[in-house]
Amino acid sequence: MKPFNFIKSENLESALAPQKEAAQFIAGGTNLVDLMKKNIAQPNTVLDVTAALPNKVVKTPLGISIGAMARNSAVANDQSILSAYPLIAKALLAGASQQIRNMASVGGNILQRTRCPYFYDTTTPCNKRQPGSGCSALQGENRMSAVIGYNEQCVAVHPSDLCVALAALDSTVNYAQTKQKSGVIPFKDFHLLPGSTPQKDNSLPNNALITSVEIAANPFNKNCAYVKIRDRDSYAFALISVAAALQLNNKKIVQARLASGGVAHKPWRWYEAEQFLKGKNATPAIFSEAASIAVKDIKPLSQNGFKTTMLKGAIETALQNCIKI
Amino acid sequence: MSNGEKFKRRSFLKTSGILAMFAAIPPTISAFYSDAKKFFVTPKKLIKINVSINKKIYEFNSDSRTTLLDLLRENCELTGTKKGCDHGQCGACTVHINGESALSCLTLAAMMPGKEITTIEGLANGDQLHPMQSAFIECDGFQCGYCTSGQIMSAVACVKKGQTRSVAEIKEFMSGNLCRCGAYNGIVESIQKVAAK
Amino acid sequence: MGFFDNTPNFATPPEGRVEGIAKVTGKGKYAAEYSVKNICYGVLVGSTVPAGAIKNINLENAQQASGVLDIITHLRKPLVPGMADEAKIKEARFGLPVFHTNKIYFKGQPIALVIAETLEEATYAASLVEAEYISEPFNVDFETHAKTIELKEIGKEKGSVDTWSTVPYIVEAEFNIKAQVHNPMEMHATIAEWKSIDQLKLYDKNQGVNGVQRTFARLFSIPEKNVEVISEFVGGGFGSGLRVWPHVLAAVMAAKQVNRPVKLMLTRQQMFAGTGYRPASWQKITLGVDASGKFAGVFHRAKNGSSVYENFAENITGTTRLIYHFANLKTQSAVVPLNLSTPTWMRGPGDCTGVFALESAIDELSYQIKQDPVALRLANLALDKNPNTGLPWSTNFINECIVRGAELIQWKNRKTLPNQLVDGDWSIGYGMAVGMWNAGRGNASAGIIMQKDGSITVQTAMTDIGTGTGTGMQNIAHEITAIPKNKIKIELGNSNLPPAPSQGGSNGMSSVSGAVVAVSKALKLKLAEYAVSLNELYKGVSADEVLLSANGISLKTNNNQFVSYTDIWEKNKLTEIDIEASSGPGAERQKFAFCSSAAHFCKLRVNRKTGKVKIEQMVCVADGGKIVNDEAATNQMSGAAVGGIGMALMEGHTVDAKLGGLIGDDLAGYHFAVNADAPIIKIEFIGKPDPNINPTGAKGLGEVGIIGTAPAIANAIYNAIGKRLRDLPISPDKILMG
Repeated sequence: MKPFNFIKSENLESALAPQKEAAQFIAGGTNLVDLMKKNIAQPNTVLDVTAALPNKVVKTPLGISIGAMARNSAVANDQSILSAYPLIAKALLAGASQQIRNMASVGGNILQRTRCPYFYDTTTPCNKRQPGSGCSALQGENRMSAVIGYNEQCVAVHPSDLCVALAALDSTVNYAQTKQKSGVIPFKDFHLLPGSTPQKDNSLPNNALITSVEIAANPFNKNCAYVKIRDRDSYAFALISVAAALQLNNKKIVQARLASGGVAHKPWRWYEAEQFLKGKNATPAIFSEAASIAVKDIKPLSQNGFKTTMLKGAIETALQNCIKI
Repeated sequence: MSNGEKFKRRSFLKTSGILAMFAAIPPTISAFYSDAKKFFVTPKKLIKINVSINKKIYEFNSDSRTTLLDLLRENCELTGTKKGCDHGQCGACTVHINGESALSCLTLAAMMPGKEITTIEGLANGDQLHPMQSAFIECDGFQCGYCTSGQIMSAVACVKKGQTRSVAEIKEFMSGNLCRCGAYNGIVESIQKVAAK
Repeated sequence: MGFFDNTPNFATPPEGRVEGIAKVTGKGKYAAEYSVKNICYGVLVGSTVPAGAIKNINLENAQQASGVLDIITHLRKPLVPGMADEAKIKEARFGLPVFHTNKIYFKGQPIALVIAETLEEATYAASLVEAEYISEPFNVDFETHAKTIELKEIGKEKGSVDTWSTVPYIVEAEFNIKAQVHNPMEMHATIAEWKSIDQLKLYDKNQGVNGVQRTFARLFSIPEKNVEVISEFVGGGFGSGLRVWPHVLAAVMAAKQVNRPVKLMLTRQQMFAGTGYRPASWQKITLGVDASGKFAGVFHRAKNGSSVYENFAENITGTTRLIYHFANLKTQSAVVPLNLSTPTWMRGPGDCTGVFALESAIDELSYQIKQDPVALRLANLALDKNPNTGLPWSTNFINECIVRGAELIQWKNRKTLPNQLVDGDWSIGYGMAVGMWNAGRGNASAGIIMQKDGSITVQTAMTDIGTGTGTGMQNIAHEITAIPKNKIKIELGNSNLPPAPSQGGSNGMSSVSGAVVAVSKALKLKLAEYAVSLNELYKGVSADEVLLSANGISLKTNNNQFVSYTDIWEKNKLTEIDIEASSGPGAERQKFAFCSSAAHFCKLRVNRKTGKVKIEQMVCVADGGKIVNDEAATNQMSGAAVGGIGMALMEGHTVDAKLGGLIGDDLAGYHFAVNADAPIIKIEFIGKPDPNINPTGAKGLGEVGIIGTAPAIANAIYNAIGKRLRDLPISPDKILMG
């Protein structure tokens, strides 16, 4: 790890004050400290923002606001989350381990970087780590890599489970840039596809700090499910994950939400399949058809052809789990 | 960029084969190598911190890079907290920070002032073992003992959080603590034993 | 010496292992945890290319970093007499001649060692070491390279392959297993300290202190007694600690170079390239059975990966010669050199690999001939003799293991055809397999020191890597002497103690138990001898006639004739009694064959939509002779089965064939079973002592706990969904695409 100055910010204002040297915010540290140990992140200054950001889950007139500093485990056990937005809790609990959830902040979870092994191995080319060096996974070990939305620049997938649920529920990300300047980014626009700047994971402006995530009130608390397929039963990143949510009127689907992790550089929404489900009856056959619609667009790499079958199965399973009460 | 955007196979034609990329590695390294000569090596930064560990205040002039794990093991002679991977992938370094289980290898010591840290050494009460420590001995919840400190710290948290209603619930809660000896039978039994008290 | 050094004393220590308190309180010291004055830290730098030579190493930046004391490379190093020239390097048989060559054999090969005041400083400076290489072509891809290496006969052919090529039922299939990594939870570490110019003290993680001692005595041309190796608490091994790896020498060289004690702990990633692994393998089995259900013949071919600088031949086909009677048998093998580090023995070496193929093939055959796989096995077991040597088994209860295992899992609920037990998207299946291991025994010594208060300390150099060696020693000493357990202390894992073999190949308990029996009996005789001065009746008594208690000695007969230790000590003017005894295999090895065995059964469910496998029940019944410590043995067996679950479902090196190295070489990229992956595993022992193997009748269990696990799981998956998966690990993608 490269030596760095350590500064603790007591409030948002001091956290956002301009720094002389390349600075990096630290909250839970579960990803950043790891990246620093691997010499992938090499900040000159580390700014501790744990005291500068809200950490509460607060009901708002339009829905709910989750403070950026709220720990993943606190959110997963929050009563208003559990009653009105259980999909969030389900996704959180499918990720990492209890200890990591106790440490990791919601803001940090959203900003976590890919777990593509080449990104972590500084002896290999990786456009995300070192733009222009190439993508080792493209024709290398890409079993875990993307199947949609990628290009020759980068085939990494976004690792977060929480983000899959946040994407499904159309949340928004609030940030602050200076004391006066703040902004809102719809979740679907927050994470980026690799394009020509694979090193850029998201659209958060430079030096901005996520302050909270908001979810609008929605009717999906009764019928929702999170399915995660991984190489072992717990404490592993997804091969495929699916967040599914249905609003039902008796057997009829009023509206549906479907999103996936482990498939793309960002949490991926299956809009066409959602559209298809609207107005249909909630039956296994319909679910299967929706899953087929979702997977028709995916383009696996050399080693992850299985993701087509797995994704289809996972979507069907998630939808079925939505109606299993 | 919309999610509906499609990527055509054709776009791959742009990439030269991976072998060509690999052949390009040595020059890249040598380029970096000559750059490196001009590199200014940042000196280490020391910071004064007070940290409360097992209800005792320690004062350090610490390297800003020091993790809580290395602080415990290399600076406090509290080697009960184990290093099994140093990257948050095994749970051997689990301690409690303000009563919550956390990974000391991914925690900067610099962030610990004002927090109360409990390690395996702080679990027993004088000459009385913590019930979870006794249970681990009675149920043989370990073999080599290297993951045991972390297992016990997580097990204490598991009971405290009431996540003991079924074997499956215990197993899920404890899955952040790898045990290569595979002493999972005894670990689960230890937790059930303490939870039943 | 730690194992019993329980300070503070806990009020009411619970019943358990001798080192229990040290382990649950975090007080037990593992290699890197000793407090040594003036210590500094070493961090290795690995090669970034898989083959070629070092052209140039630039240390300029690294040397500028705070705290750096020195940097060792092949160009800058202290003299290692045993590696002084090419001839000596060859003679040393150390494997990788670390820092004694500019050649690069694999990615991650140590090219430099940075020594600095603190760990943070050494780690950062190591990242600043830059090297230029002359690159050479390389090959790390086992699968493609294996095809180019020819098979050779291994072992004697029995009968002829031609004679059974016309039997009605034949299975011929290929099996591929990815390399697996031991990954003990404690990363290998060494503290090296030169106490004087020719006196070396090592705190080191290994599975045999005497081997480490010999290696460094030889390399530095110093007497063995000048090398002290301490390995009291060892955080798992599974085979990775059975040889001396390059980093240990690196630490010793560093301590010489800076003339200070040096601590070197490998990173988890360095463990993947520095402490061995179970090699990748390819196998082909042809197995035939006649119309009556008798095995007609087997042809077993196997290849395993190795490095380009050492030839590691895994004995994959060995067990094929052990378990069943085959009228015709032929085995072939080959080693495939790759630009990877050298593999080594890993729990159930060879057998885990070979038995996966054999037991899968037998299962496949059972469906062909429509016979229950349990019955098919029972009908073909070689229960009378070792089919390879012809020697009669001393004891072999593998049949009882199978029968009991079938009862415990309720085998009768198994359906004879796949896809018959269905629960929604899940299919349920049962599977079983067996494993066997040649039960060995080595020469071992043990010592006892007895104090006037009647307390004894039983000692051996053997390590306890978590198997319960220390507790077993206490149990045996208690059983033989009748001294209460709370007065029996254990000291082990130190080369100054009576010598013992390495703890591997299931030999540990089998070897050391004999020594503990011998020394316990010797103690009885010694005390009887001293007691003669107080009571003539003790003259010439045998050890079996003598009873010891907390306070004194007595005779089983003759009205006991109690003599207190106090009296013995005073009469004979003793300070303490210090005796040592050795024990080893003898003529019984010419008369009998010895084996441990186990049968694994599992019930699992497979999700046909997502490929997820959930093991619901796992049962293992084992024949390990007499069980010296029931709880520890049960734990070891269930733990081995957890290892087998990993092997079956998730473990495997990921190798990038184009870049020439491992990828995802950490505990996030390399998965082994977490708590949730394993059910509560049911273990039972046959528990019949082997009267010939050693004085206790205990046979080693370390290997047989894992061997049959993976094929039992693969066979259950077939029983569930009808897919015969022959490549490990069986990850969810293989379930879906298989």
